[in-house]
Amino acid sequence: MKPAKVSAGIVTVIIAVVATCLINFALTSYWVFLCTSAIIAAIALQGVGLVASRAGMISLCQMSFAAVGAWVVAWLNLHGAPGTLLLWVALGGLAAVPLGVAIGLPALRLRGINLAIVTLGFAAAFDVVLLSFTFPGQTKFIFVKRPDLFVSDQAYFALCVAVFVAIALVLNALNRSPLGASWLSIRHSERSTAAHGVSIPQSKLSAFAISAFISGISGGLLAGQLGTLVADSFSLMVSLVYFVVTTMAGAHLVEGAIFGGILIIFFPEVLRRLNLPQDIGNMFFALGATQALSMGGSMSEDLRRAMAKRFGRKPAQSVAQNQALRTTILPPEQHANAPAALQIKGLTVRYGAVVALNDVSFTLPEKSVVGLIGPNGAGKSTLIDAVTGFLHGYDGTVQLAGVPLEGLQAHKRAQAGVRRTWQQTRISPQLDAGTYLTLAAGKRLAISEAQDLLEWMGCPSPDTPVSSIDAGTRRLIDVAGVIAARPAVILLDEPAAGLSHEESLLLASRIALIPERYGISVLLVEHDMDLVRMVCNQVVVLDFGRVIAAGPTAAILSDPCVIKAYIGDPEELLAS
Amino acid sequence: MFTSIVAGLAAGGAYALIGVCLVFTYRLVSIVNFTGAAIGATGTFVMVVLFEAGFSLSWSVLAGLVAGTATAALLGAVMVRWFADAPAQTKAAVTVALLVGMIALGLRLTGGQHPRPFPDLIPGAAFSFAGVVITRAALVTIALALLITIGGTQFLNRTRTGLKLRAMSERPMTAELTGIPARSLSIGVWAVAGLATTLALMIIAPQRAPNFLTFSMLVVPAFAAALIGSFRSFWLTLAGGIGLGLLEGLAASLTWLQQFRSTVPFLAILVVLLWSQRKARWDEAR
Repeated sequence: MKPAKVSAGIVTVIIAVVATCLINFALTSYWVFLCTSAIIAAIALQGVGLVASRAGMISLCQMSFAAVGAWVVAWLNLHGAPGTLLLWVALGGLAAVPLGVAIGLPALRLRGINLAIVTLGFAAAFDVVLLSFTFPGQTKFIFVKRPDLFVSDQAYFALCVAVFVAIALVLNALNRSPLGASWLSIRHSERSTAAHGVSIPQSKLSAFAISAFISGISGGLLAGQLGTLVADSFSLMVSLVYFVVTTMAGAHLVEGAIFGGILIIFFPEVLRRLNLPQDIGNMFFALGATQALSMGGSMSEDLRRAMAKRFGRKPAQSVAQNQALRTTILPPEQHANAPAALQIKGLTVRYGAVVALNDVSFTLPEKSVVGLIGPNGAGKSTLIDAVTGFLHGYDGTVQLAGVPLEGLQAHKRAQAGVRRTWQQTRISPQLDAGTYLTLAAGKRLAISEAQDLLEWMGCPSPDTPVSSIDAGTRRLIDVAGVIAARPAVILLDEPAAGLSHEESLLLASRIALIPERYGISVLLVEHDMDLVRMVCNQVVVLDFGRVIAAGPTAAILSDPCVIKAYIGDPEELLAS
Repeated sequence: MFTSIVAGLAAGGAYALIGVCLVFTYRLVSIVNFTGAAIGATGTFVMVVLFEAGFSLSWSVLAGLVAGTATAALLGAVMVRWFADAPAQTKAAVTVALLVGMIALGLRLTGGQHPRPFPDLIPGAAFSFAGVVITRAALVTIALALLITIGGTQFLNRTRTGLKLRAMSERPMTAELTGIPARSLSIGVWAVAGLATTLALMIIAPQRAPNFLTFSMLVVPAFAAALIGSFRSFWLTLAGGIGLGLLEGLAASLTWLQQFRSTVPFLAILVVLLWSQRKARWDEAR
């Protein structure tokens, strides 16, 4: 994985150097100037793309952040601040960050589309403010000075390309980190991301702050390019257009940002040369974005998909089918008097008049596998939701190794050592298997560790895109993810649903080994009785929210009460 | 000072009216509609163009209302046709994209950002009270907002169609399976909201610097009003909209604040969001 990444970075740098040389030597100053505008637009789009295309949030004030960057640069220039443009641009980017945090903080702690509304409001208000505070030096025609090395348009173009590439490389590295993975994951499902121990507001806010920084940098570079600035370059309408172009081009990918920058600068230029009104461009972008949203893919994503189809690997085969499983599967050894890993006492959950869980108490001993079974609607998933903190409230207590979990939010419980999987797999299809494990573990895993774990679970190699993995194998990756986090307890919600027979057997053999191999205790919710019989030391049976039986697996599964709850009264069945 | 606060009444009525329409659309078809005000702008400009071309005011107004309603219905049809099952975030992003297209087209067709004169639909003062003149335009917008608020709540809570619409917004697919004509009802909701918004914008047009962009951006104070009502309560939205108008009126009367009075909606949005953080919770299961 790592060598491939490094070479991708090197390829980016080489392409950038070659393109810069070609443009600088082959084109006239006019076109170089336009190319500079395009690359600065592309930098701004990298910022928007991070928020909009990666984290899936709507931000409509990125140009206001750019204006802050430009304003700071103009101010520092006017006052003859120490350092050169390069330092000022960085400072301008930093100045945009607290503003981004101040706007994002109230919006991002709430779920929903508040960010879109607050950023639109901010951009509208900022327009008014910017009109009354002209850019420093604007009225006296004091131009922003470029550093000696970058005075010529060609050199300045090269500088902007370098900044673009630097940001691309940093973002690329960031995207492989737990934080970067959490952005893609949030876009797909906030709950499952929180279940990995990620604080959703923090993750969103960091995306928004970093994007404000990048936008601020683009504004500073624009100040250096144009020398003097007007408020119009940063108006609300420009922010809206950047959002729309980001959506259309997919600016979270390097090539998408470049496409977008080219579209924003050269499309109006082409229209001008054709004697067509330039605002047709915006209508075209609006249509393009609408189309992209309806198809669920941007230009750059479509391109990558087409390339992968043409040159890429075949869809990953399920490894489980090739693994011969001849060993008998036995539940982990039961230690007498093992201390409780998880203790549930008097757990009661009400939805209005409906009592979903009624005074449920049981213990999950350390290094054991306990099955939680019961007919549909018995309250099994509700129990998992309650224990992992995804319900608004419940009565009773849940203790992890003697420490109560009450009052902790979902991500805090996950960090404390309670992990879960979901009935339907919720892995973001845009991640690859290795990055997903990084997200789940909350830290970068050693390549060999990720590789070993995935192989052990019968999953493809870490660099396989999740989108190319079949649904059954994704469920196995779910389980690999919770193991990678090395928690004290995992709660698996019907992990075998949707698996083939071979995959099911593989899963069973692995679950049985988890306690010994990783020191993790497992609570297994499952309908597949063969699986339960094979791996569980003990079974707890729920029916209508109550525990109707609990004890050693074999005894409980042959209990007439349990059979009745599952398949109905044999006598009634005979009578009917 | 009191005079200028009251001068904000007409604008407040319009904010309230557009805000209530946004809540209406959100509650019934679960779309946060960024084109809300742009739809009204479309109808209003159709009206003014026809009026300038020599048609009588009443015919122009009628044509404008029809145009606004039709635009809304068209957008509704687009949303229903291609984005019925999309997540809320995507739907909102689509309306942002459509807004950009509408503004670009609108500015092109109406001669850019230069303000143009608008006929006063409802001229004159209704009455004056203690030396403060209440315009008829203000009264009419507020009365309209009130009408929509009362009509909206009654319709949703008391009628069968209202019940169907509520069912539809929560589970569109299920509603469709139980025989509710979800698509036509959705488009109907858009059309009604479009009609009301167009009327509101026509009435307050003469008091604004009216170009297509500023009109479309009236969606910002309307959003602020809708947030005050948490996108649920029609009455709170109504009160919030009128309150915002009055606040802007107040800001306009203070010389040091005058030029920044249009930042009031943004500040209101911030305050409301900070306040509502107390009850942060999960999105519906997904």
